[in-house]
Amino acid sequence: MSTLTLGRVKHADGTARPRRNVDYVRVGLWLALAVTMLIWAMPLIFVIFTSLKSEAAIFSTSSFSLPTSAEWSNYAEALETGNLFTAGGNSLLIAAIKVPLGLLFSAAAAFGLSRIRFKHSKLVLGAFALGSMVPIQVALGPLFKIILDLGLLNSPVGVILPYIGFGLPIQIFILHGFFSAIPKEIDESVRVDGGGNWRLFWQIILPLSKPALAALFILDFVSTWNEYAIALVILQDQGAQTIPLAIQGFQSQFTSSYGPLNAFTIMSILPVMIVYLLFQRYFVEGMFSGAVKG
Amino acid sequence: MSKLTATRLETPPGPVTRHPSKKPLLKRIAGGGFIAALPFLAPALAAYVVFVIGPMVTAVRLSLFEWSGFNADPQVFVGFKNYVRLFTADPVFWTAMQNTIVWVLLSLVIPTSLGLVMALALNRPIFGRNLFRSVFYIPGVLAPIAIANMWRWMYNPNYGVFSELAKAWHIGDGSGVTFLSDPKVAIYAIFAAFVWQIAGLNMVLFLAGLQSVSKELVESARLDGANSWKVFRHVTFPALRPTVVVVLVLTIVHSIKVFDLVVGMTGGGPAQSSQVLALWSYSQSFLQHDFGMGNAVATVLLAITLVLVIPYLIWSTKGNED
Repeated sequence: MSTLTLGRVKHADGTARPRRNVDYVRVGLWLALAVTMLIWAMPLIFVIFTSLKSEAAIFSTSSFSLPTSAEWSNYAEALETGNLFTAGGNSLLIAAIKVPLGLLFSAAAAFGLSRIRFKHSKLVLGAFALGSMVPIQVALGPLFKIILDLGLLNSPVGVILPYIGFGLPIQIFILHGFFSAIPKEIDESVRVDGGGNWRLFWQIILPLSKPALAALFILDFVSTWNEYAIALVILQDQGAQTIPLAIQGFQSQFTSSYGPLNAFTIMSILPVMIVYLLFQRYFVEGMFSGAVKG
Repeated sequence: MSKLTATRLETPPGPVTRHPSKKPLLKRIAGGGFIAALPFLAPALAAYVVFVIGPMVTAVRLSLFEWSGFNADPQVFVGFKNYVRLFTADPVFWTAMQNTIVWVLLSLVIPTSLGLVMALALNRPIFGRNLFRSVFYIPGVLAPIAIANMWRWMYNPNYGVFSELAKAWHIGDGSGVTFLSDPKVAIYAIFAAFVWQIAGLNMVLFLAGLQSVSKELVESARLDGANSWKVFRHVTFPALRPTVVVVLVLTIVHSIKVFDLVVGMTGGGPAQSSQVLALWSYSQSFLQHDFGMGNAVATVLLAITLVLVIPYLIWSTKGNED
């Protein structure tokens, strides 16, 4: 397939590098990539295969063999026993509140740090940046105590608050970079028109930063959806569980029902996969805008 | 890295007290200064101080106490007793420490270079490029706890992929493999899942960095007769240096935080052989109800993080002036 296209390219541009060995290198490279990709896809493929096999088929056929008939009962069973709807509802509720609210906090702080001049603003930014690097697990014990004292154990609010705190640093860092790149002359013109900081923030800076905000929104949704450690400590009742806790709960409860277990895994990662496929662009952009500028 | 240039080089006009300003007071506040920035900073600062900085300080404080974690029980001040116990009488702590260090060192090499190779290979128009990128990157968006379960299933000694391969290729004694229940191998088996998880993330970062490599420079080096290796060595890699730093720092941060994967695959076993610091801290606090020891481990973890990360923070705030 690719060899054909490469061959065509070779004939098409007789000027560039028509040396034959270049093509072999390219074909070799492509094959190496294809093999690596297959290896990379294997865990997912293997889990999907298993989720569609009956117990008998799992025990008797090779892991690599295709499922002969789709065993959807695995999915039904996983749904029935796995607390998936409750956990999914909890995860959605938490993400729906945490993500926009956290992003608003981050954007406001990044604005204050990048467009308003004051002494030691760099120090404040550095203090925020530091938070993105410290492991959450350092704070688990004390967090548990705070949430316990607030009476918020097993409540969505009990995880939303720490999630907002721990989500701020990286977002402030990225948005600060983004806001700083917007020309300062705009601020002057807004102020000449008699507008204050709020107007600058709401009507100029935020609309101009839509791409970065969208990217961060998506990335933050995914990391909120996936978070395990804080949820593990705060949400101890089954009714309060989020998806990652449900996965682990299902796995420890039904250790050897491999079909439903893998069906459960598939269903639990499906929302994130769909979000990724729909918003692929943002994942890359989010990382580009934040991470790498010389 | 997005530059940490908060201010221009001239000193910002803070709230002026030394000489009477010509501007009316309101104007001054609206124009700048901490007072004007405060409403924007307040919500974030409050959440950050209460739920991030506060708990970290509390963790250090609690490491000097003996406490079960139950509010009904008293917190008894014991000074450095927990640390003495940790360093002299807790072999699991040293296992966890060793595993964490090995994990950091391995991940500085394997998933980073893998990500770089993937990025270099995909930094040109190539058939199926987007599919390649997606497949490499997708593991990075899945919940680590789900990844743990996927890999646990792959390592299943009876029906897992690796056992099947070992049987098919007659590796070992033909009875398959038991990676996760082997104390010598378990931590590396978990590490393999980690490589799968983050190599694609590094690839995306490197691809972003490669955008900043000047095409003209590469072309002219080629015209001067430089081979691919020379171009990479003298043109591409120097331009990638900031990206490399970011990737290495992020890798260290990811490695120190490893928790979900270990919980989901071995729970730290067999016989605590795959413990890591983050999990050992959690286990002491929440499973053994020993908040003193748990927070002592947390404090050690915090100290290690700060030692590794603060130099980078100082470098990035200082060295990136516009």
